[in-house]
Amino acid sequence: MIEPSLALYGDAFERVDRHLEELLGATGVRYCLLVDRKGFVLSHKEALWAPRPPALDSVATLVASNAAATAALANMLGERTFSEQIHQGEQGTLYVESVGDQALLTLIFDVSVPLGRVKVHTKKTITQVAAILAELQDAPPVQFSEDFSKGASALLDDLLG
Amino acid sequence: MSTINFAAREINCKIVYYGPGMSGKTTNLKHVFSKVPGHLRGEMVSLATEDERTLFFDFLPLDLGTVQGFKTRFHLYTVPGQVFYNASRKLILRGVDGIVFVADSAPNRLRANAESMRNLRENLAEHGIDVRDVPIVLQVNKRDIEGALPTEMIRAVIDPKKELTLFEATAHTGGGVFETLKSVSRLVLDRLSQNK
Ligand SMILES: Nc1nc2c(ncn2[C@@H]2O[C@H](COP(=O)(O)OP(=O)(O)O)[C@@H](O)[C@H]2O)c(=O)[nH]1
Ligand SMILES: [Mg+2]
Repeated sequence: MIEPSLALYGDAFERVDRHLEELLGATGVRYCLLVDRKGFVLSHKEALWAPRPPALDSVATLVASNAAATAALANMLGERTFSEQIHQGEQGTLYVESVGDQALLTLIFDVSVPLGRVKVHTKKTITQVAAILAELQDAPPVQFSEDFSKGASALLDDLLG
Repeated sequence: MSTINFAAREINCKIVYYGPGMSGKTTNLKHVFSKVPGHLRGEMVSLATEDERTLFFDFLPLDLGTVQGFKTRFHLYTVPGQVFYNASRKLILRGVDGIVFVADSAPNRLRANAESMRNLRENLAEHGIDVRDVPIVLQVNKRDIEGALPTEMIRAVIDPKKELTLFEATAHTGGGVFETLKSVSRLVLDRLSQNK
């Protein structure tokens, strides 16, 4: 439809997961999220010591919407894109960088973590993750059976009466 | 197409409530939020002005449960209805899987309903899709107000060929809200199993 669907398959998913885990270790950030442009969480990692994260659904939606608005601004100003977004508060930083046209890598960290270090490591991770996502574009579409529709229908009755 | 996270076994569908300003889009989401049990829904996020007009969007995530091993989730969005917020509306349509068009029954909003539908067509076309490619359900809201126009008169300006499933609603008291959502959700899920 409007956006190509992004399906993370088994092995690819695990490789993405591993890269995010490495990034978490190398930078000392709290949370690390891979979000698709529609605002869904594709993968999420958090430091062992980090407190419970805020609602990730909401974070992903707002990050993706923010990125979409920023991209629209870029177009208006004759830029192809503004690739990164940095929001710095008194206690922490939200750093978002594009992974190609499909996804966004989002890092949330304390002020004690140097932004420069985060940027350097993030660049490397993005190259790795972008390559994996590019491989997936040629993956065959997922097939669902008739039973899927029936099962979903029953659940809809449960949820919405 | 819905986002399918195969390894995590998740399916995510995006449903957008579209329509003219003040037709009751936000009210639909508020009702769903208040009636669905807490463990099946997330927080409602509203990016609104001080006088509660939608500025960018409202957002509500819903968990359907697990279908054939896939955790299935709906993300509900509303758009800001006011004409001058078109740039925002276009952004929210990105990646849409299903649409609820919320029309207003007030006589002085007939033209606004028609214009909003035309705007929806144009915005979808800019994303390169035909309205017929997306499941759309029509909700004619505010049936309780004095002087409400006949439903068929409203449909005539939005959906003259009568192609859309139509529900009458009184969203502020919850009438028709769940029926509408269920109908569009079903269309989205059916499409998924037809691999379209
Ligand atoms: N009488 C009546 N008022 C409604 C109904 N649905 C919504 N409203 C009211 O209409 C106003 C605008 O609703 P809102 O959901 O903010 O509209 P939106 O701009 O489409 O998001 C609010 O004051 C609602 O309480 C309805 O079915 N009947
Ligand atoms: Mg609103």
